Amino acid sequence: MTDFFNHTVGLPYGWAWFLATIVGILAIALPLMLSVAMIIYADRKIWAAMALRRGPNVVGPFGLLQSFADGLKVFLQETIVPSAANRGLFLLAPIITFTVALIVWAVVPFQPGVVLANINVGLLYVLAASSLGVYGIILAGWSSNSKYPFFSAIRAAAQMVSYEVAIGFVLISVVMWAGSFNLTTIVEAQKGLYGFINGFGFNPLLFPMSVVFLISSLAETQRAPFDLTEAESELVAGYQTEYSSMAFALYWLGEYANVLLMCTLNATLFWGGYLPPFDWAPLYIVPGIIWLFAKILFFFFVFSWIKATVPRYRYDQLMRLGWKVFLPLSLFWVFLVSGVLMFMRVGV
Amino acid sequence: MGIAQTIKAFTLYEFVKAHALTLKYFFKPKATINYPYEKNPLSPRFRGEHALRRYPNGEERCIACKLCEAVCPAQAITIEAEPRDDGSRRTTRYDIDMTKCIYCGLCQEACPVDAIVEGPNLDFATETREELIYDKAKLLDNGDRWERAIAANLAADAPYR
Amino acid sequence: MPKVKVDGVEIEVPQGATVLQACELAGKEIPRFCYHERLSIAGNCRMCLVEVKPGPPKPQASCALPAAENQEIFTNTPMVKHAREGIMEFLLINHPLDCPICDQGGECDLQDQSVAYGRGHSRYDENKRAVTEKYMGPIVKTVMTRCIQCTRCIRFAEEVAGVEEIGAIYRGENMQITSYLEEAVTSELSGNVVDLCPVGALTSKPYAFEARPWELRKTLSIDVMDAVGTNIRLDSRGRQVLRCVPRVNDDVNEEWASDKTRHAVDGLVRKRLDRPYVRRDGKLHPATWDEAFAAIAAVDHGGSVAAVAGDLVDCETMFAAKALLKQFGSSLLEGRQTGMDYDTSSLAAVNFNTTIARTEEADAILLIGTNLRWEAPLVNTRIRKAIKKGAKVFAIGPETDLTYKVEWLGADLSVLGNLPERLTDVFGKAAKPMVIVGGGALKGAHGAALALADTLGLVKDGWNGFNVVHMAASRMGGLMLGYAQKAGIAATYDAKLVYFLGADECDFANFRGVKVYVGHHGDKGAHHADIILPGASYAEKSGTFVNIEGRVQRGERAVFPPGDAREDWTIFRALSETLGHTLPFDTLDELRAAMALDCPELATLGLKTFAWNSPSLGTTAQGVLEGYPIKDFYLTNAICRASPTMQRCSAELVHGESFAEAAE
Repeated sequence: MTDFFNHTVGLPYGWAWFLATIVGILAIALPLMLSVAMIIYADRKIWAAMALRRGPNVVGPFGLLQSFADGLKVFLQETIVPSAANRGLFLLAPIITFTVALIVWAVVPFQPGVVLANINVGLLYVLAASSLGVYGIILAGWSSNSKYPFFSAIRAAAQMVSYEVAIGFVLISVVMWAGSFNLTTIVEAQKGLYGFINGFGFNPLLFPMSVVFLISSLAETQRAPFDLTEAESELVAGYQTEYSSMAFALYWLGEYANVLLMCTLNATLFWGGYLPPFDWAPLYIVPGIIWLFAKILFFFFVFSWIKATVPRYRYDQLMRLGWKVFLPLSLFWVFLVSGVLMFMRVGV
Repeated sequence: MGIAQTIKAFTLYEFVKAHALTLKYFFKPKATINYPYEKNPLSPRFRGEHALRRYPNGEERCIACKLCEAVCPAQAITIEAEPRDDGSRRTTRYDIDMTKCIYCGLCQEACPVDAIVEGPNLDFATETREELIYDKAKLLDNGDRWERAIAANLAADAPYR
Repeated sequence: MPKVKVDGVEIEVPQGATVLQACELAGKEIPRFCYHERLSIAGNCRMCLVEVKPGPPKPQASCALPAAENQEIFTNTPMVKHAREGIMEFLLINHPLDCPICDQGGECDLQDQSVAYGRGHSRYDENKRAVTEKYMGPIVKTVMTRCIQCTRCIRFAEEVAGVEEIGAIYRGENMQITSYLEEAVTSELSGNVVDLCPVGALTSKPYAFEARPWELRKTLSIDVMDAVGTNIRLDSRGRQVLRCVPRVNDDVNEEWASDKTRHAVDGLVRKRLDRPYVRRDGKLHPATWDEAFAAIAAVDHGGSVAAVAGDLVDCETMFAAKALLKQFGSSLLEGRQTGMDYDTSSLAAVNFNTTIARTEEADAILLIGTNLRWEAPLVNTRIRKAIKKGAKVFAIGPETDLTYKVEWLGADLSVLGNLPERLTDVFGKAAKPMVIVGGGALKGAHGAALALADTLGLVKDGWNGFNVVHMAASRMGGLMLGYAQKAGIAATYDAKLVYFLGADECDFANFRGVKVYVGHHGDKGAHHADIILPGASYAEKSGTFVNIEGRVQRGERAVFPPGDAREDWTIFRALSETLGHTLPFDTLDELRAAMALDCPELATLGLKTFAWNSPSLGTTAQGVLEGYPIKDFYLTNAICRASPTMQRCSAELVHGESFAEAAE
C-alpha cells in the first residue's frame, strides 16, 4: 500500500508510508470495533442458549442491534467521576486498557503478507503489549479511591502476572518449534504437518500446550471461570465499580477486543492462523482471512461455552493452577520440546 | 489421588463432559418465550395495571364512594369528588401513585361498581417517576384500551366469586 | 325512684325515666332511630324493642315505655334479637342500596345498626319504593328514597327550630317527609336536621360528595360566627376545613349549631390574604414580610398608636397587640367597631349573667332591642324551651318573628320608664325574671335597662336576670382585655398608626393615621389598609374566646394558614423585634402565661362570674328602635361574605331569590 501511495499517487515515500499505516490501522480498528459489538451480542446469545434462554431479542432482527443500543445508551449517559477519585488517572485508566487491546492487532497476520507491522519479534511485541493491559486495571482500581475496585485491581494484577509466566513458557515452545518470533513465519511453519494438516495443535507434543494456552488466555482476559476481578458477589463490579458512561464502555470494548485477540492468538499459534485446516490445494481457494475468522469465531464460541459451563474459581485455586500446575508443566514442556528438537535436528 | 482420577484430571475429563452437556442444551428448544412478541397466558385474576372502566353507554362507572381509597393499604389512591352538573356523584380527581401501589387488588375487591380494576397489562414501565402518578384521564384511557380483556377476565372469574 | 332490673342487674332510675333510659343507665346499648334525647318521643321506628316483665308477652318499644317499679327488662334474649332483626329487615325493604354514593356512608346509623343487629340478607324481592326529592333550601340536600320516616326532622323543626315547615304527607308505605309547599326551610338552624337524620335522606348540600368521615381530621374548636361560643368540631382534610359540626355542650349549644356556624367554613379558602401588601402610590403592592415590617417601622407615630379588634379575633391576638402598644406607652384599644360607647366599668353590666343554660328556667322574659333569632340563635332555642315550661315573653323593638309568642310593647324605648301593667304583673309574680338587652338597645337603653334590675327584682340570691347579648365572638374577651374606650371607637380616629385586628366593620374614612390590617380575609378592612399583614382565621390558630356569658373556651388549630400568612400573635412578636421593642414571649404558652398575669380570668377555662355591680348611669331611655343591628344574618363577617354558601343562603332566604335546582 505504501507503493500505491508512493508510485501511483506520487507522494514522497515518508508521506506514503504514513498514509498507508493510517489506512491500515483504520482498516483493522474499525472492523474490530464492529466485531466487538457483534461478539458481545454473540456471547450473550450463546450463553443464553446454553441456559435455555433466548438472550437479546428485541433491538433489531433477532436482537442483532442490541450492542449498538447499549452503546448508544452508555454514550448518552453522564460520566461520573467520584469526588475522591484521582481524576486524571481515573480517566486515563480505561483509555490505557482500550488502547493496549488495540495495538496488539498490529502484528496479527490476516493473510499471507497482510499484516500491519510484519516485525520479526512479533510474539515478543504481543507479550509486551498485552502485559501493559494490567496497568489499565491497576490504575482504575487505585484511582477510584474505593475499596472494591482496589481489591479487584490487586487480584487482577496478581492474576495476570501469574498466567503471563505460563503463557511465556508456552510461547517459548511454539517459538522453538517454529524457529521464529515473527507471527507470519510461525503460521507458515504450521503448514503441512504430517504432509496434510495445518496447525501445531495437531502435533501431539504441542497439543497439551495449546490447551494450557487456551486456559491461560481465559485467565489473562479475566473470562469465566477466572473472572475473579469482577466477582459480583464479593466485589460489586470490580475495578469498574465507579465507572459509568463512555469510560465504562471503553472497558467493555477493551475487554472484548482482548478476548478476540486471545482467540486470534490461539488460532494463529496453534491452529494454523489463516491457513485452512488441511493442506489440500482446493481449500486454498478460500481466502486466508476467512479461515482465520472462522477459527477466531470457533474459539470465541469455546470461550462462551466455557463461560456457560464452568463455575468461577476460588482465588487460591486460581493461583494454585497458575503457579503449581501450569508453570511446572509449561517449564517441563520447554525442556521436552527443546530436547525433542535437539534429537530431531541433531544432524542439522 | 488414584490413578484414574489423575488421568481424569490431566485429560480434563470432567470439563469435557460438562461441556458436552452444555452443548447438548445449546441445541435444545428454549424454555423461555420470545417475550415482548409472545406472552404467557395470564390468570383472569391477574393484577396488573389499573384501569377505570365505563358502562357500555360511555358513562364512567366510578361514583367516588372512596372505598378503594379507604381500603388501600399503601395509601396510593387519592380521590376528590363533587356533584357533577347533572347532580350525580363523580370524582374530580382520581389519582393512583403507581410507585406506592403494591398491587394487592383490594381496591377492585372494594369497588361496588367494578369501576377500578387491575387489568392484564403488566408492561407499563416509564422513563420518569412522574409518569407513574396516574390521574383520572390516564386511568379512564387504560379502561377504554383494555375494556375487552378486562370484561372477558371478569366474566371468566365470575363463577368463582 | 323506681328500681328496675336490666338483664338481671338491679338499678335505680330517676322518676319518669323511660325503659330505654333505664337500659342506658345500666350500660346496655339499645338501637334506635326515631328516639333522640332532645326531641319528643315518637316511638315509630320500633328499633328499640325490648322484653319487659310484667307486661304483654311481646317485645315493647322501650323509648315510649315508662320505667316502673320492679320491672324486669331484657335486652339480649332471643326474642329481642329476633325482633330487632325483623325490624331491621322491614326498614331495609325500601331503603336503597346506594351507600357508595350516599354522603352518610361511614357515619350512618342505619349502616352501623344493620351490621350490629341485622340479619345480613333480605327476603324481600319486590320492587322498592322510590320517592321524589324535596326541596329544603340551600343547606339541606334531600334523597327521600333513603328516608325511614323516623320523623326526627319534623320534630326538630317544630320543637327546637320553631318553624313548622317540615311535615309528613300520605300514610303507610307511601308516607313522605316534605317541606311546606316544597319551599326552602327558613330556619337558621336547618342544618341540624342533617346531623339528626339517622340515614342519608337529609345531607348537607354544600358538603355534598366532598369527603368521607374517615378521611377527615377532627379538631375541637370554638365557633366565632356569633358570641354564643358554640362548641364545634372542624373536620379538615389536607389544608382545607371541609365541614363544621357542633359538639355536645349542654351549657352552651346543647348539640345544635346555626347554619352560619356550620357552613361559613367554605369561606375560609376564598378571598384569603396569603401575603403581605404595602400601599404605594395609592395601590396595594405585594410585599415581603420584611418590607411590610419596614413600612410600619418607618411610621413616625410618637406613641400615638391604636388597635381596633375585629369581631372574630381571639384573646391571644388582642393581648399580643395590647402588649405591643404598651411598649410604646399606648393603651388606645377598642373593639366596638360600629361606634358603641356603653359603659364597661362593670363587666357584669354587659354580661349574659343568667347563663345560657339557665335561660330555660326563666319564667318571665323581657327582650329589649334584640332580634335573638339572628343575634344568638341558640339562646333563642333556650327561650323556646322556657316558654314550653310556661315562661312569658315581652319584647321592645320592631316586630319580627322570633319563632315563639311574644307580647310586643312597641319600638319606643321610652316605654322602659313607664312599663305597662301586664308586664309588671307577670314580672312581679315571676321567680326567675330575665331581661335581655340586645346590641340595638345598648346605645340608648343600657342605663334604663340596668335600672330594671332593681325595679323588676332581677338580681336575687342564686339568680341574676340581667343579660346583654353581644354579637361579636371577640367582644367579651376584648372587654376583659381593655378593648374599650370611654369615647368608643372615636378615640382612635386621631392615632397616627392604627392596627386593625381583622376589623372590617368600622367606618374607615374616619381614621387619619396609617392603617395596618392584620387579618385573614380581603374584605373592607384590607381594602382601606395601607399595610396588610396576612393572619390566621379561627380555624388556623389555637385561640381563646369568651362567650356572652363569660365562658372562657379554647379552640385548637385545625389547618395551617395559607401562603405566607401566619398566626396573628407571631406577627406581632416578629413585628415587635423589627420595631426594637421585642415582646417578652416566644411561644404560645408564654403568651398565655403573660395574658393570665394581665387578665387572671383568662388564665383558666370555664364560666367566669362577675360580681354584680351596677354602674350608675342615666336611667332615662329615649328614642325609637328603627331596626336591629344585624341586617343580614348570613353575611355578618368577612368569612361569611367570602362563603358562597352563605351568599346563596342570603340571596334565597333573606332576599327571596329562587334558585333552579338541578334535576337529580
